[in-house]
Amino acid sequence: MGTGMTDDELLDALRRAVTARHEVPADFVAAARDAFAWHNIDAELARLTYDSHTADHALATRTEAASIRALTFTSGRLTIELEVGHDSLVGQVVPAEPAVITVLPKTGRETVLQADEIGCFCVEPIPLGQFRLRCRTPAGVETMTSWITL
Amino acid sequence: MRDDPSVIALVRRVSDGDKEAWSEIAERYSPLVWSICARYQLSRPDIDDVAQGVWLMLVEKVRDLREPAALPGWLATTARNECLRVLRTARRYDPDGLPADDMMPPDLATRAIEEGLLEAELGVALRAAFAELQPACHKLLSLLISDPPPAYADVSKTLGIPVGSIGPTRARCLGQLRRSPHLAGFLTERVGAIKIKETGR
Repeated sequence: MGTGMTDDELLDALRRAVTARHEVPADFVAAARDAFAWHNIDAELARLTYDSHTADHALATRTEAASIRALTFTSGRLTIELEVGHDSLVGQVVPAEPAVITVLPKTGRETVLQADEIGCFCVEPIPLGQFRLRCRTPAGVETMTSWITL
Repeated sequence: MRDDPSVIALVRRVSDGDKEAWSEIAERYSPLVWSICARYQLSRPDIDDVAQGVWLMLVEKVRDLREPAALPGWLATTARNECLRVLRTARRYDPDGLPADDMMPPDLATRAIEEGLLEAELGVALRAAFAELQPACHKLLSLLISDPPPAYADVSKTLGIPVGSIGPTRARCLGQLRRSPHLAGFLTERVGAIKIKETGR
């Protein structure tokens, strides 16, 4: 043991190790800790797979129609499409199912909505701050989106 | 450090629903996830998205990890895949926007991940060993690694020890650090890895 590094190298490695930890924001670690709350939740995570906002940025073009933002969340079983309007959020569950949608804000009370026969639902007003959507199909399949900030 | 017994123990405890063990994993390996995101130069919201994906997947899969000791490697690979997913989401219509890392031949990209992983695992071990040093050693080394490095005269003033004893104390404290069980087998394995790198394999 100890043949690998000189004292100077060891001190340098220690400096890098301590610096690497300091560079990580406290809320980043806190979010990692909070993820454990999921360990007994039987919902599948639907992750953001499309965001018109960032897609437009990547193209570096200014399209006039860019005022409506579209987001797509995908899990193994279903897709949730969202369109951000002026004062409401219009969504659709694909494949179409009359699912129960729950809006879960990071702070504040949750709201429960019913999607119609073609899977459409409307969240009004648009939630302030971070929130996520939970979707439960009539067959009992639970999906939860990642956190959304609009 | 593929067989770190403390990682195996932590993974087992998390599988049994132990929240403290999960917090320990989050604390230890957040710098690893962070450093991989930094390599891809993601924005902070994208980094959070990646991390969320990584940690939630770990919550889901922790019971199925075949080799608990391989957790750091699993985290590194998963974080990289999540970074690529985020980049693809943003650049869906921009085929030229692939990250430079992804244009590397696969074995080079794998090696970059492995080197980052080695550094991250050494970091975890060093921080654990450092936290358990005797207070006097912890204080001295904390001062010595501060940026910019302080003059010995200032260290002497701050700690109230003679300038002449700083060098020997530094050596003794680093010796204590080396002997920590957290670093057992690590420093020599690192030498092995560096040798592999030098011979181009």
